[in-house]
Amino acid sequence: MGKIKKKFTEGASTTYITRNRALKKLQVSLADFRRLCILKGIYPVEPKNRKKANRGSSKPTTFYYAKDIQLLLSEPLIAKFREHKTFLRKLQHALGKHDITKAKDLHSRRPQYTLDHLVRERYPSFADALRDLDDALCMLFLFATMPVVKNVSNEVVEECKRLSAEFMHFVVHSHALRKVFLSIKGIYYQAEISGQTVTWIVPYQFSQHIPLDVDFRVMATFLEFYRTLLGFVNYRLFTTANLAYPPKVDADLDDSAAGLGSLRVESKRVEDLIKENDDEETTAIEEKHTKVSKEMKQRLSTLGAKIKSLATAEDAPEYSSVTVGGDDSEARNEDDDSNTAELLFNKQVFFLSREVPRYSLEFVIRAFGGRLGWASSSGGGSPYSENDTNITVQICDRPVQGHQFLNRTYLQPQWVYDSINARRLLPTDDYLVGQQLPPHLSPFVEYADGDYIPEAAAKFATAEGFEGDVEKLKPEDEDEEESEGEEDAEIEGDSADEEESDDEDEDDIAEKQHQKQLLAESQGLSFTEYQQKAGNKKAKKPAAKKRSKAEEEEEERQRIAISMLSRKKRKLVNRTQDEAKKRAKDINALHSRKAQVTKAAKKAARK
Amino acid sequence: MAPAKSKAGNSKKRTASNRAAREPEVRFPKNSNIEVPSDEEVDSDLEEDVEEGDFDEMLKMMAEEQGIDSGEEGGEVEDDYIAGDSLDEEDQEEEDGDEDVSDSDIEGDSEDASDDEDDDLLLAPSASRSTDDLATAVDSNSEGEGEGEGEDKQLTIRDFGDDLEAWKEYRKTLPTIEAGYASDSSTEEPSNTIGNVPIEWYEDYPHIGYDIDGKRILRPATSDELDKFLENQDNPDVFRTGRDEVNQQNVKLTDEEIDIIRRIQGGSIPDADFNQYEDTVEWFTSKTMQTPVTGAPVSKRGFVRSKSCRLIRQGKITPGKPKQEKPRFYDVWENADEESADAQSSRRPLRLAAPRLALPSHEESYHPPPEYLPTDKEREAWLEQDPDSRKRNFLPQDFQNLRSVPGYQKFLHERFQRCLDLYMAPRMIKKTSQLNAEELMPKLPDPRDLRPFPAAEALVYTGHTGRVRSISIDPTGLWLLSGSDDGTVRLWEIVTGRCAQIWDLKDVIHTVAWCPNPEVGSRVVVIVPTELCSDQKLLVTEEFEEEDAASLPVSWDMPPSSEQSQGIYISVVFHKAVKSLAWHKRGDYWATVTAEEGGASVLIHQMTKHKSQRPFRKLKGAVQTVKFHPNTALRYVRIYNLMQQALVKTLQPGVKWISSVDVHPQGDNVIVGSYDKKLAWFDMDLSVKPYRSIRYHKQAIRQVSYSRKYPLFATASDDGSLQVYHGMVYQDLNMNPLIVPLKILRGHEIRNSLGVLDCLFHPIQPWLLSAGADGTIRLWT
Repeated sequence: MGKIKKKFTEGASTTYITRNRALKKLQVSLADFRRLCILKGIYPVEPKNRKKANRGSSKPTTFYYAKDIQLLLSEPLIAKFREHKTFLRKLQHALGKHDITKAKDLHSRRPQYTLDHLVRERYPSFADALRDLDDALCMLFLFATMPVVKNVSNEVVEECKRLSAEFMHFVVHSHALRKVFLSIKGIYYQAEISGQTVTWIVPYQFSQHIPLDVDFRVMATFLEFYRTLLGFVNYRLFTTANLAYPPKVDADLDDSAAGLGSLRVESKRVEDLIKENDDEETTAIEEKHTKVSKEMKQRLSTLGAKIKSLATAEDAPEYSSVTVGGDDSEARNEDDDSNTAELLFNKQVFFLSREVPRYSLEFVIRAFGGRLGWASSSGGGSPYSENDTNITVQICDRPVQGHQFLNRTYLQPQWVYDSINARRLLPTDDYLVGQQLPPHLSPFVEYADGDYIPEAAAKFATAEGFEGDVEKLKPEDEDEEESEGEEDAEIEGDSADEEESDDEDEDDIAEKQHQKQLLAESQGLSFTEYQQKAGNKKAKKPAAKKRSKAEEEEEERQRIAISMLSRKKRKLVNRTQDEAKKRAKDINALHSRKAQVTKAAKKAARK
Repeated sequence: MAPAKSKAGNSKKRTASNRAAREPEVRFPKNSNIEVPSDEEVDSDLEEDVEEGDFDEMLKMMAEEQGIDSGEEGGEVEDDYIAGDSLDEEDQEEEDGDEDVSDSDIEGDSEDASDDEDDDLLLAPSASRSTDDLATAVDSNSEGEGEGEGEDKQLTIRDFGDDLEAWKEYRKTLPTIEAGYASDSSTEEPSNTIGNVPIEWYEDYPHIGYDIDGKRILRPATSDELDKFLENQDNPDVFRTGRDEVNQQNVKLTDEEIDIIRRIQGGSIPDADFNQYEDTVEWFTSKTMQTPVTGAPVSKRGFVRSKSCRLIRQGKITPGKPKQEKPRFYDVWENADEESADAQSSRRPLRLAAPRLALPSHEESYHPPPEYLPTDKEREAWLEQDPDSRKRNFLPQDFQNLRSVPGYQKFLHERFQRCLDLYMAPRMIKKTSQLNAEELMPKLPDPRDLRPFPAAEALVYTGHTGRVRSISIDPTGLWLLSGSDDGTVRLWEIVTGRCAQIWDLKDVIHTVAWCPNPEVGSRVVVIVPTELCSDQKLLVTEEFEEEDAASLPVSWDMPPSSEQSQGIYISVVFHKAVKSLAWHKRGDYWATVTAEEGGASVLIHQMTKHKSQRPFRKLKGAVQTVKFHPNTALRYVRIYNLMQQALVKTLQPGVKWISSVDVHPQGDNVIVGSYDKKLAWFDMDLSVKPYRSIRYHKQAIRQVSYSRKYPLFATASDDGSLQVYHGMVYQDLNMNPLIVPLKILRGHEIRNSLGVLDCLFHPIQPWLLSAGADGTIRLWT
C-alpha cells in the first residue's frame, strides 16, 4: 500500500487561495491588500470548480492565484506600507501631545515609496504599457478636470493636468490622432501610437457631479499608479520623438489659460545637434566621411530642420513662415498617403469663437496640422486675432453670426470632427452657422455584413471634398485631388449595398436630389442614367425578396443536417442562429424606425 | 598583684595595638631596627604581614614584640606603678616621643600646631595646668620637632647594632620630649575610661577609674563644703565652672564653650562659624554635571562618532542642504527586449489583460441619426428597468448643436465602476460562440448523388372520408390496400390511382396487411376492432376471422355467407381492439397485438391450422407493435427466437414511447420511431443502444419504414411531414451504416393534430406511399 496522500496538497486547492487566507498569509489589512492588488494589477480568478478550490466548502468567496499571492509576499511595498503605518502612529502620538516640532520632523522624514518597479513589472515592454493605456488616460483626463476632493489633493490634480497636457502634446507633435467622437458622455479620442490604438474619453468641461457612492480611496490608488505609468510613457514617447522631457511650462501663458500653448516643447539639445552638424559640414570638404557618418549627418540635418519648422509653426503667427523642410515633405508625400489625412488641416487657419470648446478643438486641429487662434476671452496666447486675414475658417456655435468676413467660412464645430473621421475635408454646406447639422456618427463602428448602415455614413463615403468659397481651401496639389477621388470610388464600392437598401427612401425626398446627383457623379453616370439604374434595382427587388427554390432547398438541407448533429453541437448551432436572429431583429427595428422617420419628415414637408 | 600585672600587660598590649591601629602606616622596620635590631626575620615577617594587610596577624605579632620588650620594661612599669611615680610615664613619653618623631615625619607640621590647641581643649581638666604650661608644651613640641628631625638623621646615621646598653646611654643624652597633639601621650591628664557606668560604683575605691593606659586614676582630694564655698567666693569664674563627675574635676568652660551653650539655649546653630545660608554647590544641574545620573558605563556610541557625523566632517554631506532631486521619470523600458521573454516565465500565472471598454456606437452620439433615438415607450421601459440589467447604461439623446450638450452626470460613477471591475471582477478566458454554423455542420454527401429517392408528390389517392389508418401494398407492387376510419377498406391501383374495390366494414379499421408470400395466395388481413378479415378477390384471398371465447382471447369463425360472398372467409374475433398486425414472410403465420394487458396481448396465428397461440406468458408494459424478423423472429425491442422460444436481445432505444419498429431487409439493423419525436437506428451486431439517434420531427413519429430494395428509409410524423433518409448498410461489417437525411416531404394536412399516419415503400420502385389523417393517400416518387 502506498503512502496515504494528504488532502489539499495539490490540485485546485493549492493553485487557488481565498482572499481571507491571502490576508492571513500576507499579514496585511484588507485595505492594504486592496491597494496592493490595484497597484500590482492582481485580479481575482474564477476556479473551474469552486468547491475543489475551497477545500470542499461552497461558500461564496473570492479566489486568487496562490502564485500571485506568493509573489506579493516578496513585494517591497508591503514593508513600505508597514513603515507608513508606524509613521502614522508616531505622528498621531506627536500631534496628540501638541508636539508640533516632532510632528514636523516626522513628517519631513516620512517613509516614501515609488511605483516605478511596478510599471516595469506589469508591463515588460513598452508596447504592453501602450496597450493598457486606455484606462490610465481616461482616469487622468477625468481628474485633470476634477475639483479637489477627499483623498485627491491639489497636487494630484495638478499632476494629472500636467501629464495629460504632455500626452496631448505628444499626440499633437506626432500627428497620432486618428478618430474623434462627440458623445453625450464626453469626447472620445483615438490615437495610434507605435502601432497601438489608444482610446480615451475626456469629459466636457463642466463641474463634475460627484456621486456619494464613489469610493475615492480606490480611485486615488488607481490614479497613483496611472500617474506613474503615464509619466514613464510620456518620458519614453518624448525621448523617442527626440523631445526634452519634461517640457517646460511657460508660467505667464499658463496663468493666462493659454491651454496647450503654455507647455514649451523643446527638442532635446537642439542647438547642440545643429552645431555638431554645422561643424561636420565645414570639415566635410577636407575629410572623407564614411557612409555611416553621412547618413547620421543627414538624419541630424533633417531632424534639426524638422524641429525648427515645428518650433516656428508653433510660435510664428505668419502663415508664410511655415516652411516644412523640403526633402522631408517630399519624403512624406512619397511614403504614405495617410500623411495627407494626418495633416488634414495643414492649409487651414482656424479661429475659435469664444463659445466653442477650445480645450478639444485646439488639440484636434493642431493634431491634424492646422493652425489656430482664439478669442482673447477664452484664453491668452492666441497667435491670431479675429481680424487676421490669414484665417480661413472660423468655428462658431451660435444661431446667427453677426459680422462676417468674406474671406472665411463660418462653420460649426462638428465639421472639424466629421472631417477628421472622414479623413478629408467635408463639404461645408451642411455645417454653416445656423444650419441644421447632419447627424454625428461614431467613427468606431465597423459594419459587418448585413448591418444597418445609417444614411449619413453612406453620405460621408460618397460626398466630395471640401471646396468652399475660399480659394485657399482648395487642395493645391492636383495629385492629391485625384487620390481623393480614387479613395471615394473605393469607399463607394464598399457601400454599394447599403445604398440599394436606402434607395427607396431616398427616392421621394426632394432634399436629397442634390446628393443623388453627387452619387451619380461619383459613379461616373449621368443623373438620368443613374435614376434608371435605381429604377431597375427597385423592379428587381420583389423578385429578390422571394426566395428562390434552390435557396429554400438549401435551407431545408441545412435544417435536416442540423438534425443529424449531436446535442451539444446542435445547441451551439442553435445559439449562433439565435444570435444572428437577434441581430437581424435589431437591424430590422432600425430599418423600420428609419422608414417611420422619413415618412414623418415627408408629411411635415408636405404641410 | 597578679590581676594588676596582667592588667598592666594588657594595657601595654592595648597601647601597642592601639598605636598600631591608629598608625597603620608607621614603618615598623625602623622601630624594630631601633628596638630589636637582631630580630630580622620577625621584621621581614612583619613586613610581609603588613603588606598583606592581615591586621589581626599584625596585632598578634606586635603583642609578641611588646612582650619581648616588656620583659625588660615591664618590671619597670610595675615598679613605677607601685611607686606611684610619674617617672615611668616620662619614660613612656620618651618612647612615645620617638614614635612621635616618625609620626611628625609623616604628618605635616602645621597640622601639628593647630591640633595642639585642640588637644588643650580636650585635656583641659586639670585646673592646675595653665596656659603657660601649654605654651611650654608647644615650645617643647616645636623644639622637639626640630630636634626630632635632627635625631632622625642621627638615627639613620648611627647604628647601635645589638648594643642595647649603649643605646640606653645614648637615649639619656636625648632631650625630653613634650608630648604634643597627635601623640598618644597627649592624654597627659588622666581621663577616665570607665565608660558609661555610674561613678558611685567607685565610691569605695581610692581610684575613680582608669586612664587610657589602664592605670588607676586616683580620686582627687575633695575639698569640704567650706572650701568649696570659699573657692566659689574667690573664684571669679565660678559661674563658668562645671563639674566633671567622671573625672571628679571642676571644669572651667571657655568663652567659646559658653558661646556654644548660649547658642544651643537660644535654639540656633551651635557653631558660630557655620553659615546657615551658604551658597548651594551645584553638582548636577542643566549646566554642571559633576556626577553621572546613572552608574551605567558610558556606551561606546557615546564617544564614537556616528557615520553621518563622520561624513559631515569629511565634507561628504552637508546637513540642511536640500536633497538633489533625481528626475522623477526615466526610461524604465531601457533594456526591455531581453527581459520581456523571462517576464512571462513560469513563476507566475499568465496575466490576462483587462478587457477594453466597448467603443461607442452611433447611439452615444450627441446628435445621432433619428432612427437611433428611442421611442417614448422604449424610454419608459428603459427607465423602469433595473440599472444592472439595462442593455446600455445611457439613453440616446439628440442635441441640435454642440453648445447645448450638458455635462454627463454619471461620468465619475462609470469610471468608478470600471475601477471596481478592474480589481474586483474575476478574469477568465471565455470562449464566445463566434463559430460559423457551417463549420459545425456534418460533412454529408450531397443528396443529389444518392438518387433515386422519393422527392416529389406524384399522385394523390382520394376517396376516403376519414383518417387513413393503414396501408399495405401487395408483393407484386401493383395494388394498394388502405383501411380508414370511415369503415371502408379500399383497393387502389398504384400507378393510376384508380380505386378498384371498396369494402365497407362499417367500423374503424386499424390495420390492413397483405400476406407477403405470393405462393400461398395473396391474402389481405383487415383488422377491425372486433373482426379480422381475409379478403380474396381476383388474386386475393380474403379470410375473415372471428372471436373465440376459449382459453385464448380469440375465436376462429366462418363468417356468415353474406360476407363470404364478399370474399371474407375467416373471421377471428378478439376481445380487445387489435392495434397491430404483422405477417410472417412465408404467409402462414401472422402476429397481432391487442390492447390486452399481460402476455395475452401478443398472439401468433397460423392460417392453415386456424389456430392461435400465445408466445409469452408475461410481458412487461404494453406492447405497441410486433414485427417478424426476415430470417428469425423479432419483436419490438425485445428480440425473440420463436423456434427456440428464447429471448435473444433487448434493445434500449432510450425513448419513452415507441410507436413503430421496422427491420432492415438484411436483418441486422432496426429502426425505431417514437412518440417523443426520435428516430433510433440500431445496429444489432454493434450494441443494444442506438447507433444513431435522429431528432428532426416536431411531432410524434407515427411510422417508420425501410425500403425493401433501395437503401432508403422513411419516417412519418404527426407534423404532416415525411422524412426520407438514405440508410446504406454495407456488407463489410467493419463499416458503419451511412445515414444521410435526403428529403422532407410535405403535403399532408394536419387534422386534429394528426398528420401522416402510415408510410410504406413500394416493394419494387423507389416510391413512397403515405396515408394521412386528411383522408388522402399520397405517392411520392
